Amino acid sequence: MDRHLAPTKLTDRAAFNVLAEEAAARFGAMATGSVWTVSVGISECSISKGALDTFEHLRMKLEDSGLRYQLRRVGCGGWCWAEPFVTVSGPGMPLILYGNVDAERAPDIVAAMQRGMPAFDLAVGTVGSEPYGDIRPTREHPFFARQRRVLFEDCGVIDPESIEDYIARGGYSSWAKALFEMTPDAVIDEMKIANVRGRGGAGFPAGIKWESARRARAQPKYVAVNSHEGEPNVYKDRRLIESNPHLVLEGTLLACYGIGSERGYNYIGGEHVLALKRFRQAVNQALEYGLIGDNILGTGVNVEIRTRAGGGAYICGEGSALMYSVMGERGQPRTKPPRSVEEGLWRRPTMLNNTETIATAPSIIRNGGEWYASMGNEKSTGTKLVTFQGPLKWLGVIEVEMGVSLRDLIFETSGGMQDGYSFKGVQTGGVSAGPLLEDQLDVPVDFDSLQPLDAMLGSGGFVVFDESVCAVDFARYLMAFNRYESCSKCTPCRLGNPALVEIVDRIRLGNGRPGDIELIERTSKHVIELSLCGLGQVAPMPLLGMMKAYPAEFRAHIEDGICACGVCPTSRRVTTAIAAGG
Amino acid sequence: MLQEARVSESDLDRVRELLRTRYHPRDHEEAQELILGALQDVQQIIGWVPHEAAVIVGDHLGVTENRIYGLLTFYADFRIAPPGKHFMLLCHGSACYVGGSQRLIDEMQQRYGVHGDETTSDGELTLQIVNGCLGVCDLAPVIHLDHIYYGHLTSDSMNETISEAIRRGPTPGAHEAH
Repeated sequence: MDRHLAPTKLTDRAAFNVLAEEAAARFGAMATGSVWTVSVGISECSISKGALDTFEHLRMKLEDSGLRYQLRRVGCGGWCWAEPFVTVSGPGMPLILYGNVDAERAPDIVAAMQRGMPAFDLAVGTVGSEPYGDIRPTREHPFFARQRRVLFEDCGVIDPESIEDYIARGGYSSWAKALFEMTPDAVIDEMKIANVRGRGGAGFPAGIKWESARRARAQPKYVAVNSHEGEPNVYKDRRLIESNPHLVLEGTLLACYGIGSERGYNYIGGEHVLALKRFRQAVNQALEYGLIGDNILGTGVNVEIRTRAGGGAYICGEGSALMYSVMGERGQPRTKPPRSVEEGLWRRPTMLNNTETIATAPSIIRNGGEWYASMGNEKSTGTKLVTFQGPLKWLGVIEVEMGVSLRDLIFETSGGMQDGYSFKGVQTGGVSAGPLLEDQLDVPVDFDSLQPLDAMLGSGGFVVFDESVCAVDFARYLMAFNRYESCSKCTPCRLGNPALVEIVDRIRLGNGRPGDIELIERTSKHVIELSLCGLGQVAPMPLLGMMKAYPAEFRAHIEDGICACGVCPTSRRVTTAIAAGG
Repeated sequence: MLQEARVSESDLDRVRELLRTRYHPRDHEEAQELILGALQDVQQIIGWVPHEAAVIVGDHLGVTENRIYGLLTFYADFRIAPPGKHFMLLCHGSACYVGGSQRLIDEMQQRYGVHGDETTSDGELTLQIVNGCLGVCDLAPVIHLDHIYYGHLTSDSMNETISEAIRRGPTPGAHEAH
């Protein structure tokens, strides 16, 4: 499945344009040609469901089928619920997405192809706008209906291990445009017009950040991409890198050009093995074509890209901790100022962007900042990758314009609760904020609307939980995460978080005392106000949020020793209470 | 559990070969940037980071043993003791928590006597609880045992899966790619 054209180093823009035209022609021929094109999604999420076996079975069946075909690998399309997935187009047949094609069902696809028919019972939908027989377009499926795919546009479409596929879809044209048609200031202007806000959680405008990095006078300076993604319910960045690594790479190059840096870093969590592999491979491919390296396309611009692996410490998602980790130190944050834009990696100006933020740059440069700003709402422009977990029908990575309501995302796009589960709440902002209740779900998902409710967009991970989950126990879980991941550098976080876990634990055990709620509030205040870094400063938030959302549950645990969900190891008083109908 | 940690000379040769072929820092800054990656690679090759290998990495990159151990003990990914014959990640991300991963953790503690990053006393199984997220939340609660994901688990189905793996015997390279 590897089409390998011996890459020759491109020395000018004309050579790049020739390559782009050839690649586009070859890619386009797949849809119109007389051969069948069968694509299997191969990424960590689909591999977990047996996609490699599916691929192997398809290969064997196709070899014996007598059909003219091309079997290829694509990335993850975000539809986890339909994995392993296969897309097929063929003579007289549009591109159709098939879901849950395990090794056993793979032969059904080939058998249908031999009959010149779609495998109707496996079809999720047609990928284009036209139906085919009874198969409706995927865009009519509730999971896709609200989505607006910009970053994920080519995920599940291109082979992530082929730079030619990326180029065929317009990849690196923004890079060429910037190099030949735009000054660095013009690149930054587009980012400012687009008004992209940092997707790592803070929501600081990226264009302003790029500008202040450009103004930093010390040289050399660096760009660093935060692909650490160590949060306990977020996997969008690794899926994006696994499925379209060149998009993140091109964004990094644009940032380097914009701020005047000759070196970019991508720091990827060490446990994201496939993302690391595919990003490194992307860098090597781009080097072979001369799209990075020295004297890029004959312009005299040089950019070196370094991929660095983390070691499994949540704290390394914090800016200064990340820099220490890149430098081969323990990832422990430091006080600011100086900010990393003034003094970051190797004490040189370093601009840090989240993966998702940096990945917006290629489409912004291609289509203009105004195009980007026309999506989303006034203060939160563009699209956002969000992930929903819990007992919902359709789980996956969703890309929507900012401002879609949480209710729509849960009950329409994600299909609502699975049968037998009833909605109790949705935890927002990973481990850094509180939950929302059913009557709060009409809130638009953007940077500013969630905060007044003590919720947070964060990195877009939402966990829906049902009535069987106890609020006290869930709060304990979230606090325990923060306790475990505290880097132990500063005292309020190192000692405050264990203290909070201890108090919640005694409440769970049915040994809560009068005044424990106030004690939690007081202790939390210390941790929030006195901790050194952003992670410590929000560590107690999920506990406070749970207390605010479910005060009666906390009271029942403390005053009566009752865990209505039957989750907490409360004392014997509970058994009596439940026996008595409590 | 006390056990004598052994590493074969051929494994150490593979580490030396890796460093010789793939780790060529141009200056001391770059050398330091490569420490974590080199240790990850060592763990891929051997399954853990033995003292001898830590020294070899330190010597190659020009950093002290002290520095290396500072990293090995800070970052959760690294093991400084050999893993069991089978290696299992138990995801304890939020989605798995909501799906009941705490029950699986309790079961591991009660039935196998392991909690957190520990190996069973018979040396069969090493358990690592993933505090972050394996990123396959639709399979929650999920484990990754000897390279294979098993999802939607209950205590019973997890036990069956583990027993089956132990019956099958060790998988070559079970510790790799974590």
